[in-house]
Amino acid sequence: MAQALATTLVVASLYALLGAGYVLVYRASRVLNLAQGDLLTLGGYFLFATAATFPGAPVLALPLAAALSALTGVLVYVALMRPMAGHPVFAAVLVTVTLGILLRAAIVLVFTDRTRHPLQNLGLSNPPRPLAGGAVVSTFDLVMVGAAVAFFAALFVFLKVSPLGIRMRAAGERALLASQRGINFHGVFALSWALSAFAGSLAGMIYSSNVRLEPSLGILGLRAFAVALVGGLDSLGGVVPAALLVAAVEVASVRWGNPLLSDVSPFLCLLVMLLVRPWGLFGTKEELERV
Amino acid sequence: MTASPATPLLELENVEVVYHRVATAVQGVSLRVPERSIVALLGTNGAGKTTTLRAVSGFLGGDDARVVAGRIVFRGEVITGRMPHEVARRGLVLVPERDKVFETLTVGENLDAVVPGRRRLVTREQVFHYFPVLAERRRQLAGYLSGGERQMLALASALLCQPELLLVDELSLGLAPAIVETLMALVRRLRDELGTAVLLVEQNAAAALAVADAGYVLEHGRIVYDGSVERLLAHEDIREFYLGVGHRTDRVRYTDVKQYRRRRRWF
Amino acid sequence: MAALGGGYFKTSYEADLALVDTRLRRVALGALVVALLVLPRFASGFVLDLVSQAAFAAIGALALNVLTGLAGQISLGHAGFLAAGAFTTAALVERGLVSPLVTLPATALVGGVLGLVVGMPSLRLKGLYLALGTLAMHHVVLYAAGEMQARAGGNTGFTIPPPRLGGLVFRGTVAWYYALVVLAALVLLLVVNLQRSRAGRAWMAIRDRDVAAASVGIDVARYKLSAFVWSSVVTALAGALFAYHRGFVSVEAFGFFVAVEYIAMIIIGGLGSALGAVLGAAFVTLLPYVIDALVAGVSPDAAQYYVFPAKFGAFGLLMALFLLFEPLGLVGIWRRVRNWFALWPFRHRPLRASS
Repeated sequence: MAQALATTLVVASLYALLGAGYVLVYRASRVLNLAQGDLLTLGGYFLFATAATFPGAPVLALPLAAALSALTGVLVYVALMRPMAGHPVFAAVLVTVTLGILLRAAIVLVFTDRTRHPLQNLGLSNPPRPLAGGAVVSTFDLVMVGAAVAFFAALFVFLKVSPLGIRMRAAGERALLASQRGINFHGVFALSWALSAFAGSLAGMIYSSNVRLEPSLGILGLRAFAVALVGGLDSLGGVVPAALLVAAVEVASVRWGNPLLSDVSPFLCLLVMLLVRPWGLFGTKEELERV
Repeated sequence: MTASPATPLLELENVEVVYHRVATAVQGVSLRVPERSIVALLGTNGAGKTTTLRAVSGFLGGDDARVVAGRIVFRGEVITGRMPHEVARRGLVLVPERDKVFETLTVGENLDAVVPGRRRLVTREQVFHYFPVLAERRRQLAGYLSGGERQMLALASALLCQPELLLVDELSLGLAPAIVETLMALVRRLRDELGTAVLLVEQNAAAALAVADAGYVLEHGRIVYDGSVERLLAHEDIREFYLGVGHRTDRVRYTDVKQYRRRRRWF
Repeated sequence: MAALGGGYFKTSYEADLALVDTRLRRVALGALVVALLVLPRFASGFVLDLVSQAAFAAIGALALNVLTGLAGQISLGHAGFLAAGAFTTAALVERGLVSPLVTLPATALVGGVLGLVVGMPSLRLKGLYLALGTLAMHHVVLYAAGEMQARAGGNTGFTIPPPRLGGLVFRGTVAWYYALVVLAALVLLLVVNLQRSRAGRAWMAIRDRDVAAASVGIDVARYKLSAFVWSSVVTALAGALFAYHRGFVSVEAFGFFVAVEYIAMIIIGGLGSALGAVLGAAFVTLLPYVIDALVAGVSPDAAQYYVFPAKFGAFGLLMALFLLFEPLGLVGIWRRVRNWFALWPFRHRPLRASS
């Protein structure tokens, strides 16, 4: 039981980071970024590349990889999402699908599709840590939980207190009015994309260090969007409980079902949510009409 | 024209706006707003008032609208086709007709979100002095404000943008007459005490002309009449159609009044 | 349509109803039919197979186009419908019911029921939310198919024998070429007529504004569901065809990427246009082969693992370019070219806006 709880917490942390990425982008562009999973993969490969360039220097490699990911987010916004203004949301979502395809193709072209382990180059190890109650998790499992908690705390403070964060919320609600109030919303939205890519790639770096790195990791992203929707697409606060819920269902379905069922369980959560309360646990009902 | 100084604060020259590349919304609109003045832009529904204001305050890519002819000059600088935030930071600030506050933000956050313009004209204390009710509701979500309070919050956050010219779209829309009167008086006070010029777009011509110095009448996307408030008020058709206090005994139709269109451009 | 240059007007109701209205078009269509009929006498098996694949893709694309292009209901779960059809057929064949006379109606039934189920959320949801629902449904269908495959299919998939109709056995490239091309043509005819029917108009009205559609008396719920059912029945049948044509069914053939491919077809072709769906299907089907040929032409000994991501990437790039710069798709390009010739030597420019 303790093990199940610990696993749930770890999976939930991964989903929460990815889910935050979805919600940040959704609030900025009203677009569900279906390339979020591939941004996660990209983060892993950035870490792999920086770790190979600066072997044994995680202090250098980690921030550099994170910065590259955030930069990718900005580039995506400028190159792909900004020109989609005025197009139907559906078209913009499809652009993110194509972005995912492009990212995956680029990753295979550059890094081939071999399975990698960035940890080797970083010069770090990943020893198991026994917890209270007999549960055992790996060190990077703990790092994942810590990263998720830290990211959400920082994000909360940023959005609640800092003027830039308030402007980001304002622009997310009404871009035009924000612009008329002097807010350069293109800048703000680019920042949203940067934060989103950062969150995704953070998850990707930790996950790939913990488990393995391969181009098909992006599938994790597809499963995490269930989290974003269950929590409410426009609700950052909803991501955490939703991530816990979806992770719990998934862990339970591994325990009492089979791996195939656990793969599909996030989608089952999503379907149930769509039928019962389509705007999500903490989302606003009006969002249904906006898309 | 009323007394028009050599360089007005805002000047529109023959502005033409086209939506979706095919639909002309306004054409050949020229108007000037002198410093420290209140100018009313009157017209019926769909005449092009809001489009004119939006052309001044800037379109977004998603609007699929653009100024295809003419130019807009603010303080001697051509601002045609600028982004809304660039226009706002120059001191030309719009209070839109709807969607005028951030409903998911508190009143205080609405005011914090504003990026002030280049000049410092108004402080937060002054804003709370003009709108004391906002100080009380600082921590409330803007979505829970009443219509009048929303309009006040919209005006207040526009003021924090440090405007030299406020563009106000339908200040009176959906508000009780008593509140309209208060707000109009407030607009006049802002002009008198802070020196903020105002371009008022109104369907409620009586309320607008009560505070304005001069006015323009827009119809079917064109300016058809202009002049001082006295001149506008003296015009029989304007009294009839916009103020409802005409003395005509025969029921004339709006389209029958030929001389009304004397300024229409045919080329 | 043909009256762009002026001078051509329809003078009777029959002329207005006709699908093929001018003599030039009749001749062109006749030539196309003849060309398709005699193609097997001249073309290699490889070419025939390409055309068959394109025809097969066209069936699925036309069905998706009715749902997404006409009725405006976004579906990311098209591969799920295909899978449902293919696995229904596989399940029946597994139980000894090999005759298409049994499997096809059964597949249509399953497709219809599935379409109804997937369509239900569309009564409450729009746009993005609906798309997510269909995507989730896709995964659920694949899960069910995966379970089935794990239990019965020996873990790799199901083998399907070639279909028999009386003494007729569909086997070999030429037989399948004719079967698929004829079926695609039939579906095309059906869709073109459907567009002009009451249902087609209702769908388009719902796509453009569902509230307005309801206010002019269109039963929005009924037509939304009928679009889903119609599309899913045709797609499930296409899935059955897939099973028979390939002779093998496994879950791996129906990934999310397949759904994206179908969406790409109708986007690249031109959303809402039947001709566009066919053009898009041909384009997306042939693209990988073109890239193959290009890669082979540039560097014959290029490592195989470069080819796959290159295909994948080129596909994504093209789709993005169409979405960004040519939302009307191939059909839009085709119309512009046609208008250019029709209007030559004049250039038609709407107002001054594009200056």
